[in-house]
Amino acid sequence: MSLRVLNPNAEVLNKSAALHMNINAAKGLQDVLKSNLGPKGTIKMLVGGAGDIKLTKDGNTLLKEMQIQNPTAIMIARTAVAQDDTSGDGTTSTVIFIGELMKQSERYIDEGMHPRVLVDGFEIAKRATLQFLDKFKTPIVVGDEPDREILKMVARTTLRTKLYEALADQLTDIVVNAVLCIRKPEEAIDLFMVEIMHMRHKFDVDTRLVEGLVLDHGSRHPDMKRRAENCYILTSNVSLEYDKSEINAGFFYSNAEQREAMVAAERRQVDERVQKIIELKNKVCAGTDKNFVVINQKGIDPPSLDLLAREGIIALRRAKRRNMERLVLACGGEAVNSVENLTPDCLGWAGLVYEHVLGEEKYTFVENVKNPHSCTILIKGPNDHTIAQIKDAVRDGLRAVKNTIEDESVVMGAGSFEVAARQYLVNEVKKTVQGRAQLGVEAFADALLVVPKTLAENSGLDTQDVLIALKGAHDRGNVVGLSQHTGEPIDPQMEGIFDNYSVKRQIINSGPVIASQLLLVDEVIRAGRNMRKPT
Amino acid sequence: MRELVTVQVGEFANFVGSHFWNFQDELIGLAADPLGDAVFKNQHLNMDVLYRSGETQQGVLTYTPRLVSVGFKGGLGSVSARGTLYNDDVDTPSDTVTWRGSVATHYTEPCKKNLFLQSLSEEEQENLVDGKNSGRGEIEDKDIIECLESDVTFWTDFSKVHYHPQSLYQFVGSWVDAQEFDNYGIGKESFSWSLQGEDIDERLRFFVEECDHIQGFQFIVDDSGGFSAVAGDFLESVADEYSNTPVLLYSVRSPSSSNVLRENKKQIISRDLHDAISFARLSSFCQLYVPVGLPSLNRSKAATHLCIDDQKPYHCSAVYAAALHSIGLPFRMEAQGPTTDSCYVSGAVHVNDMVRMLAGQGRQNMVAILDVAMPAPTLLEKHLGQSLLGSLQPLTPEVKEDAEDLLALESMTAHGVFESGGDRASVSELKDQISAAYEGETVRPMLCHLSAAQCPLPVPLPFPSIFGNLVGQHGQLLATPISGVSTRGSLDVYSIPMAARLRSSNAVLPFIERRLTNLLRHGVQGSSATPLLRSWGFGREELEDMGESLSKMVLALNPHSLSSSDSD
Ligand SMILES: Nc1ncnc2c1ncn2[C@@H]1O[C@H](COP(=O)(O)OP(=O)(O)O)[C@@H](O)[C@H]1O
Ligand SMILES: [Mg+2]
Repeated sequence: MSLRVLNPNAEVLNKSAALHMNINAAKGLQDVLKSNLGPKGTIKMLVGGAGDIKLTKDGNTLLKEMQIQNPTAIMIARTAVAQDDTSGDGTTSTVIFIGELMKQSERYIDEGMHPRVLVDGFEIAKRATLQFLDKFKTPIVVGDEPDREILKMVARTTLRTKLYEALADQLTDIVVNAVLCIRKPEEAIDLFMVEIMHMRHKFDVDTRLVEGLVLDHGSRHPDMKRRAENCYILTSNVSLEYDKSEINAGFFYSNAEQREAMVAAERRQVDERVQKIIELKNKVCAGTDKNFVVINQKGIDPPSLDLLAREGIIALRRAKRRNMERLVLACGGEAVNSVENLTPDCLGWAGLVYEHVLGEEKYTFVENVKNPHSCTILIKGPNDHTIAQIKDAVRDGLRAVKNTIEDESVVMGAGSFEVAARQYLVNEVKKTVQGRAQLGVEAFADALLVVPKTLAENSGLDTQDVLIALKGAHDRGNVVGLSQHTGEPIDPQMEGIFDNYSVKRQIINSGPVIASQLLLVDEVIRAGRNMRKPT
Repeated sequence: MRELVTVQVGEFANFVGSHFWNFQDELIGLAADPLGDAVFKNQHLNMDVLYRSGETQQGVLTYTPRLVSVGFKGGLGSVSARGTLYNDDVDTPSDTVTWRGSVATHYTEPCKKNLFLQSLSEEEQENLVDGKNSGRGEIEDKDIIECLESDVTFWTDFSKVHYHPQSLYQFVGSWVDAQEFDNYGIGKESFSWSLQGEDIDERLRFFVEECDHIQGFQFIVDDSGGFSAVAGDFLESVADEYSNTPVLLYSVRSPSSSNVLRENKKQIISRDLHDAISFARLSSFCQLYVPVGLPSLNRSKAATHLCIDDQKPYHCSAVYAAALHSIGLPFRMEAQGPTTDSCYVSGAVHVNDMVRMLAGQGRQNMVAILDVAMPAPTLLEKHLGQSLLGSLQPLTPEVKEDAEDLLALESMTAHGVFESGGDRASVSELKDQISAAYEGETVRPMLCHLSAAQCPLPVPLPFPSIFGNLVGQHGQLLATPISGVSTRGSLDVYSIPMAARLRSSNAVLPFIERRLTNLLRHGVQGSSATPLLRSWGFGREELEDMGESLSKMVLALNPHSLSSSDSD
């Protein structure tokens, strides 16, 4: 399998050594990541060899930044990163859960138990837990107008694990509004329709939602307006620059006049295209105070810009491909690939278009649009690492809201689900299992507790006390999680602490799969460092 | 002026690029130097083609390469990817404005700046303090040179150029170490264009958007390993987004890349397939493909007057960069109207012209050979330009040596060449002599485009000491060796007359044929490599298509070929 591909010069270890190496690798990764977990976790600042900084509280980003060489650890890291790719969250939980499954297994294996038995137990426990999750989850009604409060609770829960409270709370409304803006009934939510734009600003940390679009470039003509109201927007993908593509191959032999003539002919074609746009502008704007903005995916050369500027048209070139789609969703109209048959119906509308300049960086805001289905989250921060970290958090928040709408349910957090599932496995499921596979179920159940345990640990609390209190409450029929401040049992519902159903589901699914693979390994390939060429 | 945007992908490509930009930086410096050699003052080369003017948020004006470079994270050594130009304040690890809880800081062992980089930052500090260069600090040039000769690990170790913060893209999160990143498959596996490519696309768009009228892209790709896959996806995206803009591609390899593990049959097949697929993929998204990189540069004829350590990418990349510099001069010669050439430059063409000239007519062969004469010999009265033609030697591997090709198409640039009197030959003289030399050849190419400039290749301080002891101060070839030294570097040699040529000729057949044969044998006919290819993401059909396009290339150059492999 893939381990082999990774390192062909590997040394083969015997079975027992291999198993312990896997266990240690899993525990090692758990150790690195566990302090990240939850709202009281530790943020990590990674300072590179050249002094550049990366700031992250996200398991996913941290894993990607780490130089992992151990093949087992790489396998776990891949799983965790895949977790993030598909559901957008839960990386840290995945890693510590896998680590804990291995840790729990180690106890039994050291007592002579065959890994196969544990793996069988894992499988039973996993299925039971997934069924339990479906009963445990809190369904929500999405419909045409999803419950904004519940969306906010999920977003807030996730954002507060990445940013301090006030900042998280500011972003909560932003991400919820952004997703509701782009959501179309009966269609999957395409988060790409939320543009995330940033500006470096020495003394400013601020994030805002722009209903409309912010482009990271401006017009390229000195005479074009920097601000215009009541704008028709033409979204186009048409070359408005002269390129020599049509000149024939033998031009080295042709005389200068011939060449000039060909150049002129090509130029004329470009000018005609520009003229078509100007005609449309005149049709819709003549005699009014309305303005006309062209946002083009292809190039616009200076002569074309001149022509447009003379007509009072604002023109932007080389817009990013994705913005063609976003512009149409934000402003209306359609994206045109040719200037033949231009009609007023092609045009979108924005109440305000203006340019913002920061040094050499220009931004164009297309705002005050009617009924937008695309929007921009604009992040300002003093430096790249701060911006990057906020961006990561925004992405998490957006994913959390999208998941909630698509899952049509949420799961109570703060460790409540894990404790509940653990009690269910131990009290109900275990006794239905034949023989020693019971122990696998138990190991699985105990491994689930790593989440509340780590949350407690990160809050500086006594983990034993917290777990006893939580288990007790659950046995009395109360679903509780832990308070990050006191460790006391709290009702997550009351506190508004909710996680995504799909995220939880995937953690429960993938954790035991990887753990089982690591337990059943016959031999481990150890990186053959001695075989490496010196650099 | 029409802009050219450069893209460098992969380790060795960045080495080549580093030298390339050092040359440009040196030219900019020499043009502004009041005490400098007059030949550098009137270059008549428009640097704006390659460079952009910018401005920091503080209003400081900047001038930086139009460049996107892709490399491994950690590949920049002690240099930060953002550079220093745009850093208003250096990031301080103390300011975490997003989190009130605990912060754990992890330091990677700081990379120590070598003597050269130390001297650069000292110089900069001094400039800041008194606004004028008050002479060098403690560090002596000869120590810098010694330090670079003994240890260059990263391409940044010898770079004196300020890059724009958007220029240096580093890719992370692959958990592969550089040694293992040695084939197409691993590149594809570690870098998903659909997930990570957008950032690179966006950086490129940044540089393209500001071009009023881009003439083309110049790609320099290290295709010896996993970066080939990254470059392939990048090129595909460029071909899609900027369909009218021509791409000139140099695939560059260091000699050390050819002694990767070839222990067993499997490894050999994997290597061969890598080469074939890499070539097929990359060539399908560019207009002109120039393979650069000999298995041993030092033993090649191109290095007659050079002393290269093949094991040092720092050495080899310098030669390749010099050749690329020469080839690219016509793209930025200031045209003085269509017919009248100036006395400084002549033969201006744009990338598109060059591509059409070499690949767009006749056999439509898009794989060109790169030849170089470094240094270019002095024009001697009696030999006319013959010695110059004869001294051009290929940097392209696997080419036929004595190919006679009446249909060859060539584009040659000579610059800074001396005439027998010891002066630099005028541009018209240079052109006349070379044309005459071509007339005198028994086998002449069908067409040769000539470009010439007065301005030689400048030798910047961090250039390696690779000149032999027959190379004089201005790159002229001496009759007797300078005694007591074996190699000469930037302190002894200030500039080099150069000639370089792109040649579309059937001499390139062995290069293409080997790739075709391997692709057919292992990829299309045989099945033993099928699992490997599948793990790289290639199915039979795609491989057949690749085989077909390579066959077409071969067929165009040699209509009698392939009869054998067609039959089975
Ligand atoms: N206010 C809170 N109090 C207690 N636990 C919380 C709170 N907010 C979130 N959590 C818990 O933190 C965990 C998620 O932490 P996080 O750092 O985002 O890790 P992951 O990468 O696994 O998503 C979940 O188990 C969640 O229930
Ligand atoms: Mg989370």
